[in-house]
Amino acid sequence: MDKEKKNLNRREFFKGGIAAAGTLAVVGTATFILDKSAAKSMPREDFLRPPGAISEEDFLYGCIKCGLCVQICPVHAIELAGAGEGLGFGTPYIAPRIQACDFSCDALQCVETCPTAVLDFRPFKEEGVRAVEKAAAEPGADLSTVNPFEVQKVAMKEAVRMGKAHVNRNTCLAHKGEGFKGNPRGTDFKGVHRSPGKNEVSASPLKDRVFDREVCDLCITECPIGEKAIIQRRSRSGRKLIPHVLDGCTGCGVCQMVCPTAQPSIVVEPF
Amino acid sequence: MLSDYFSNAKKKSPIAPKPVEQMPHTLAGLSFKEWRDSRKKNHKMRNIRWAVLLFMNLLFVFSFWLDLAILEGSLSGSRLIGFYLMDPYNSLQLLAISSTTGYLGMLTMNFWIGLFTILIFWLIFGGRSYCSWMCPYHFLAEWAEKVHNYLVKKKKIKERSYHIGLRFVFLVGFLLLALLTKNLVFENLNVVGIISKAMIYGPSLLLLWVLAIILFEVFVSRRFWCRYVCPIGATWSLVGKASPLAVKFEHDKCGYCLECQKVCLVPHELWFVKRGAATQDVHYVGSDCTRCGLCVDVCPGNALTYSVRGASSLL
Repeated sequence: MDKEKKNLNRREFFKGGIAAAGTLAVVGTATFILDKSAAKSMPREDFLRPPGAISEEDFLYGCIKCGLCVQICPVHAIELAGAGEGLGFGTPYIAPRIQACDFSCDALQCVETCPTAVLDFRPFKEEGVRAVEKAAAEPGADLSTVNPFEVQKVAMKEAVRMGKAHVNRNTCLAHKGEGFKGNPRGTDFKGVHRSPGKNEVSASPLKDRVFDREVCDLCITECPIGEKAIIQRRSRSGRKLIPHVLDGCTGCGVCQMVCPTAQPSIVVEPF
Repeated sequence: MLSDYFSNAKKKSPIAPKPVEQMPHTLAGLSFKEWRDSRKKNHKMRNIRWAVLLFMNLLFVFSFWLDLAILEGSLSGSRLIGFYLMDPYNSLQLLAISSTTGYLGMLTMNFWIGLFTILIFWLIFGGRSYCSWMCPYHFLAEWAEKVHNYLVKKKKIKERSYHIGLRFVFLVGFLLLALLTKNLVFENLNVVGIISKAMIYGPSLLLLWVLAIILFEVFVSRRFWCRYVCPIGATWSLVGKASPLAVKFEHDKCGYCLECQKVCLVPHELWFVKRGAATQDVHYVGSDCTRCGLCVDVCPGNALTYSVRGASSLL
């Protein structure tokens, strides 16, 4: 009786086990197929990985999709991907046109909070330390005159490379020689940002700001990095003042968010 | 005693069942039926447990919504007042993949601290206690189970059960899939994570998957996901092998009514409650037990109670 029961039990296990293995094989194949298509679709200009993201291949398995980076971001720039992203479901991204990363946390908190280091903090930490050492070594300066936090902060955010902004010459107001007056994204736009010119402590809504520029230069004046990332220069013909993106661009996407044209005329392309 | 902590009580020969004059209903002066139904309406432990479960899950939600910063993240990985906690099966998959890619060394100290903290915590409180005291899917499944049991009782559907060891096929299988595809495959099907994240960050299409599983549990097999699939629960049951907190069974108070097995999510762990099955005067429920307390609530003789294993020999 007992032996019979044991055999029955074993048969039941094998029967279920085969069904389970079959299910797993289907799931595995589906994952494999999705994996192939997902690698092509991400990242894109409306799907930037947060600062410090490691290679996309490692990112997809290293990210445990906990959302800690989402929660710590003071401007709520980071979102979790929906089911439409396939295997990227639940991974964090930034859609800069909706809400760009404006560095108003000052210390790359999303990177620091990531437990699995798919947002890798180490290079930023090293960059910060190096910058402080360099500032202290300059003639006439030592640690009593240099504010290490300030130096570190600037060096860390300048080391971010989410992508690089590109200007669309056909739609850019400056390229057309036009100015801009008013509110760049309308009065119901929800995005916030900390303007470099205003000396704010935290970000404020973009809808509350009104600009008046003879030649549109919002992407240049609102850039949190400044002249290392984007400058205004004279076009080749010498008649127009146009924005010019430099290698110091971090790909934060503030320019993309503030650009007043219907379709953004400056767009971050991820590396 | 530490010696009977790991010993296999199932293999021993059973002790003699009690004669009728020693049965608890005779001692209480009641008929068996009266005695058996005496605690049917008692839901004390269940209510406490639901309160804890809802409180913890809502703490996640409100920590984000109201910026309380008490319990950040989700059940996949979180931070309790700045202290990291990791989901062990997620971590296991990650470790399996990263051991082949050289990513292992990248993992932060917070990751290791979070993983070991949670393992130690649930080792003390009983691995699968996570299921009934924390898991939001468990809460939904309990309601689905009620509907399912009603349908079975009305003979609308037939009860289907499978082998309880299938969980470990899935546990190993999903680990292998993670290794082969270099993806956290299970995380995309993980109903616990999907519900937790839907509550905190807003609903996603994958809730349809959760709905499908719940409907399967209602119409086909009782508690299918929790019993036969969930590798998180399987991981916890391994962690809970040596947990000191366990449900204790005392043979002399038992009336062999089997009310406990009827409500139990893992009735195979209550194998000793049948007349003539117990091999010891005292048994502790095994590692699949979720410490949900449904049996504690319903037991008319108080033969099943929460206890700390080995505490009596220590004190």
